[in-house]
Amino acid sequence: MIGRVVLILVLQTIALGAMVGMKQWTLSTGRPVLLETEPVDPRSLFRGDYVRLNYAISQIDVELVEGDDEFERHGDIFVVLEQGDKYWEPRSIHRQYPAVDEDLVVIRGEVIGTGGPTFDPETSELLPGSSVLVGYGIENYFVPEGEGRALEQPDAGQIDIEIAVDRAGNAAIRSLIIDGDVRYVESLL
Amino acid sequence: MNTGRFVKRLRDELPIWQERGWVTEDNGRAIIEYLEAQQGESRHLPTAIAIFGVLLLGAGVITWFAANWTGIGKLVKLMILLGSLYSTYAIAAFLLRENRYTRTGEAVLLLGIILFGANIMLIAQIYHIDAHFPNGILLWALGGLVTAWLMKSAPAMVATLALGCLWTGSETIGFGRVHWWYLLLWVAILPAVYRWQWRRTFVFALVTLALWSVFTFPAVDADFGTGARLFLMQVYFLAYLAIFIIGLLMDNWSPAERFARAVQGLGIIGTLTCGYALTSPNLQSGSFGYYEAAHRQPADDQWILLNLVATAVAVLLSGWHYLRTRHTETSKWFEYGRLVLAAALVVMIVSLFVDGVHGGPLAIVMNVLFFAGVVWLVYAGMQMGNRLLVNLGFVYFAVTLLTRYFDTFWTLFNRSLFFMVGGLLLIVGGYWLERQRRRITSGIIADRRDAS
Repeated sequence: MIGRVVLILVLQTIALGAMVGMKQWTLSTGRPVLLETEPVDPRSLFRGDYVRLNYAISQIDVELVEGDDEFERHGDIFVVLEQGDKYWEPRSIHRQYPAVDEDLVVIRGEVIGTGGPTFDPETSELLPGSSVLVGYGIENYFVPEGEGRALEQPDAGQIDIEIAVDRAGNAAIRSLIIDGDVRYVESLL
Repeated sequence: MNTGRFVKRLRDELPIWQERGWVTEDNGRAIIEYLEAQQGESRHLPTAIAIFGVLLLGAGVITWFAANWTGIGKLVKLMILLGSLYSTYAIAAFLLRENRYTRTGEAVLLLGIILFGANIMLIAQIYHIDAHFPNGILLWALGGLVTAWLMKSAPAMVATLALGCLWTGSETIGFGRVHWWYLLLWVAILPAVYRWQWRRTFVFALVTLALWSVFTFPAVDADFGTGARLFLMQVYFLAYLAIFIIGLLMDNWSPAERFARAVQGLGIIGTLTCGYALTSPNLQSGSFGYYEAAHRQPADDQWILLNLVATAVAVLLSGWHYLRTRHTETSKWFEYGRLVLAAALVVMIVSLFVDGVHGGPLAIVMNVLFFAGVVWLVYAGMQMGNRLLVNLGFVYFAVTLLTRYFDTFWTLFNRSLFFMVGGLLLIVGGYWLERQRRRITSGIIADRRDAS
């Protein structure tokens, strides 16, 4: 009996440890990438406050980047990022992991939706052309209770996100930066 | 067993037993008194209280964490999470040791599974893990599966199945795709169910399988576009029919006999539901309103192949059943059923090659066959002494009759006349059907009594 319970606990602990380990692997081995973002909708009913992050690379105009044109909903997408003036920007999109130069980064995502015109957040206008909506698994960032709503306010300041992208294209949020000040930094403990 | 129901049944039976000299009047009274005294000490009550207690405690733990979570450091959070998980399993092991407090121990095991899920969710929050969310439910279900297998716990296996159902529902409804992986999890529970003869767990497993098929239907329908619905419904009909025949075959195979009735139940409910759907003129003509083409087209190659394979499987199973039962006394009544079934299979194959213009006549033929099939089912239930089949036969007969009344007379009758005739039909028809049903089911009970 004791042996079986210990085995259950070992297996369940390994599963939980693997969740943390995979994330830490990405954070410790991944290349740093700074992304432009805009926080929206900061509340989880069950898990407290969080910042819902909408990145500039979350919606990509297929006609403005190189690579593949057609993607399947909920399928994999690999976005090649290049360093811009301040932020990293999409250069090409692919259905398979592409071979790239060392100065570029490949981030893996899931196609949330395809088609439809591009939305310009600055002018609130719809731009012509087809786009692809991408989720990278870095769209939610949990913050102390009450701070999520504050971050959503227009006067919260410029919010940037530094992520780490590992060799397989997996991404993890490394830090949340407000007006150039690093506010939340990820650590193991 | 429900003691109250058992005592009531025994009260009905005892006079016959006394009449036949098996039990004296005094013994009969003593048995009833003994059982009535036990009624007050139902063994289900502590279990129910323990399980409710566990559920409340689990919910409380989760909401407490949610309310106070942000003020706690990461290391302390991990210690709380893992500490509560370890201590819960340790308590379960203590209670279950030498089978001392089995029911309370089982309930604490369930709490362990709930806490494992809470650990997954909260560790995902602590480390900002925002992955494909059904994977978290899968991980949770696998934790439950390991617990159920290693602790030989039927309640833990039921929890695993419920989580598996949540997992497949999230994948299918949330992401609109057919989710075959659930079947792998489902198969993984079968050896445990068989080994420890968990009949109720098996019934629950069948319910989750039916739910999986319900989730899957719209996903396949969306993938294959207009017209797929009818051909898919035919495949579902054939698949459930195959399950029903497998259930009948299990009746004659001692290792699986204990589970046969449950398989038959799932198979026949699925077959009747799909058969009922196939009687719909809308489905047969492919007309569902503004968003779909008015008429369906003949099936393409993949649907023809799939329907023919499903038909072949059903026919082969039916043939196998015939070979196994041809020498038994009850085999004669199967002939009529096989004839109805064969006709339905032929109509469904023809249906693959015609367009929506023939939908109306096909619907009429399917209705005739469905009613014939339902009558056969009642007859089959009588022959087999299976009240479930009889009851289902009456229910589907009434529902289909009412549906056709609505389909046919809604536009033909004046509204007031429609409701008056409909009401009359319900009162008189319902009374007559219920009388017949009661007569047949009490006949089955009386036969069983005589046989014993």
